[in-house]
Amino acid sequence: MTAFQDGKGLATAEKHYSHYGARAKELKAEGKKIIGYLSALCPVEIMTAAGVVPIRMVGNVSESITKGDAYMETIVCPFVRNVFDSAIKGRYTFLDGMVLPHQCDSIDRTNDVWRDNLKLPYWHFINFPHVTDDPSIEFTKEILRLFINTLEDFTGKKISDETIVQAIKLHNENRRLMRDLYDFRKSNPPLISGAEMMKVLVAAMSLPVEESSALIKDVIEEIKKRSPVSSGKSARIMLIGDQVDDVAIIEAIEGTGASVVMDELSIGAKMYWEDVDITPDPVQGIAERYLRKLKIPTTFVGEGNTYQENLDARFGQIKQHISEFKVNGAILFIYKYCDPYGFEVPAMKSYIESSGAKVLYLEDEYSTSTLARMKTRIEAFLEMIA
Amino acid sequence: MAEGKKPRALATQAAAKIAKFVKGNLSATLKAKEEGKKVAYAYIADGQDEIMRAMDIVPGWGESFAGVCAAKRDAEQYLQKAESDDFSRSLCTYATCTIGFDMIREELKGEPVPGAPWGGMARPDMILGSGQLLCDPRFKWPQATQHYLQDVPVFVGSMYYPPFDPNVDHKSQEKFYVKYATEELRELVKFCEKHTGKKMDWDRLAATVELSDRTWDLFIDTYELRKAIPTPMDTGDAMNTMVPFTFNLGTQEAYDFYKDLYDELIQKIAEKKGVADEEKYRVIWAAGLPSWFALGDFQYFNDKGVVFPVEVTYRGGEKIERLELPKTNDPLEHIAWRWVRYWTHWYDKARKRPGSVPKVERIIEYIEDYKCDGAVFHSAFSCRSWHAGIIHQAETLKKVYKDFPVLIMEGDIVDISSYNEADTHNRIDAFVETLEASKKRQN
Repeated sequence: MTAFQDGKGLATAEKHYSHYGARAKELKAEGKKIIGYLSALCPVEIMTAAGVVPIRMVGNVSESITKGDAYMETIVCPFVRNVFDSAIKGRYTFLDGMVLPHQCDSIDRTNDVWRDNLKLPYWHFINFPHVTDDPSIEFTKEILRLFINTLEDFTGKKISDETIVQAIKLHNENRRLMRDLYDFRKSNPPLISGAEMMKVLVAAMSLPVEESSALIKDVIEEIKKRSPVSSGKSARIMLIGDQVDDVAIIEAIEGTGASVVMDELSIGAKMYWEDVDITPDPVQGIAERYLRKLKIPTTFVGEGNTYQENLDARFGQIKQHISEFKVNGAILFIYKYCDPYGFEVPAMKSYIESSGAKVLYLEDEYSTSTLARMKTRIEAFLEMIA
Repeated sequence: MAEGKKPRALATQAAAKIAKFVKGNLSATLKAKEEGKKVAYAYIADGQDEIMRAMDIVPGWGESFAGVCAAKRDAEQYLQKAESDDFSRSLCTYATCTIGFDMIREELKGEPVPGAPWGGMARPDMILGSGQLLCDPRFKWPQATQHYLQDVPVFVGSMYYPPFDPNVDHKSQEKFYVKYATEELRELVKFCEKHTGKKMDWDRLAATVELSDRTWDLFIDTYELRKAIPTPMDTGDAMNTMVPFTFNLGTQEAYDFYKDLYDELIQKIAEKKGVADEEKYRVIWAAGLPSWFALGDFQYFNDKGVVFPVEVTYRGGEKIERLELPKTNDPLEHIAWRWVRYWTHWYDKARKRPGSVPKVERIIEYIEDYKCDGAVFHSAFSCRSWHAGIIHQAETLKKVYKDFPVLIMEGDIVDISSYNEADTHNRIDAFVETLEASKKRQN
């Protein structure tokens, strides 16, 4: 993509996207502790406050699973299997530890497999509940305090409330900047393409928060200088799913002339749309943000008086994105063997369709091996929208 | 090869009574309306049984209904119905089978679905799910069902237990886990009171909980009789005899069933009546839900002289005294302690054996106690909760025992399209040869 030659922001994003984890390796060489984690459910504020470098783990969609299947069943989430395969093949040898938040069965049920085979010095499973009522918030505060204690033991340093508040501010600033960048997708055509955005999102989660914010700022400065050049009417697509962290599917969509203008992905809008409130006990704000504000299908939302109210609470943000980003087609890109997302499909599909946007549901692997088949379906969908 | 196949022969008379139990549970949902009772869709091992029983709420068990559909090889139409609305075939087939049935019943305006096994289930008045470590469908399934039953209120509570960490004593975390589970049960009581219009009778609940405790004890006492050689009952029967414990906990009928089974097993032991004509190999069913449409495979094992004196699956309890439950006058807190201590019961043992995990320690305990020569796992493609992690368990087991035959079968719980009888029997044959060779080496 020539766009990455625009200036230092996008070029840096491209570098970190293509050489994922390169910065973490450098920091490791400087003596920093590097902790890998899975899922948007991991409270990165606490890791930042502990002085360790959090890096969200990714797999490799272009690489077949060659070793992981000897340890992990093929009925496990394809994303989790792929990342595990990468890890067992040595991609993450620079890690000092890992954090697995309890997002879903595929993570919970393989916790032993990860821990016992990777044998990292630090290991922690954060037992997040699936329910969001008041007792669940109190429980979440307890498990977050446990998490804090284990990091204190690992680093040998006390984590004060003030340090946590500082980390919350840094991550909130990071989220605000990313939301500012998303604003450039609202114009027609968007000033930043879906593929460019994906690379920034991936790069951002591989860096310490200050560096991530600096990168986003640089990208914003570059994008600001662009002027919209209309290429005529084209479909404006929103991509919905969990961890889609490769440009392959985005390029398949944008290669047809459509624009991916918004996402509801766990490395994208899901992660950046809601801040942590600064509360007298900072753990309270973190608990509320990850349990109630973060919209992922593994937290049960059902306190509404009617089914419609429940749908609004679960998917209302999607409708808002559709309106603000003028989306006219949504692609639900759901991984096979994913119960949390899979059971949402009929409800989410009809909810989105009620906003006037068309929906394409794709069930796929975390792999480019099926991309040709997906492309055919995407092209047919985009033709229908046109 | 399929030759020599016999229909499943139940070893115990008690197991033969189970069809009546299952049918009774389904028809109870259909009769509830005329009896003025509320029906709740419910899910096993959620810790909610006693609350439902004490409030006269009739549980409609989706797992049981789907299992019956599978056993009758009649699930396909419901799976296809769910699939027609974009539920993937890779999702939990207990859930998709039942949701497909719900969709058809809604199209019939709530009337009984013609041809549904044993009349099917009634439209529920409420749905009681649970977010927990056991499985994601326990909270996603209720939510997905509500898409078709939009007026039916859904409650999802929580029943968590500390995760296993070899470096952490989980007992330091127990109190806040139990507090949380107790509060969630209290929320469930409030929900049930609201939707039944009745107040909880706390004395009745306490009596129901006490009855459950006695049933847990009797269930384990009964199953431990299977240590006898030859074993008087194997897993083929246990996949039936688990029904009262799993679906009727907190009822006198469940307790009485195990009393009868206990007496029957004592009698069979006295008469040295085993499951197989000649008991050659004793094997543990180490993990995995069975293929309900292929229970005849247990007969195939038995015909080869292989018996299963013990299984982890559906042995969802332990002797209460072994759990060392702290005393409490609050029946909800007692339920919470019972479940938290049950799920963490093998943690201490696992910490003592580097590289082990509680699930493996449980299997090892049973292998020793029941004198097993090998282990069989079943991996069902649509269920991650039970079946992810099986390879790790099997590998850990092999490290502990070195020469220990292990078979991992593959299939599903409900979806018969995954099943190939000839292939399954070939794999069983090969496993029996391994058992034979292993036994020779040991002798």
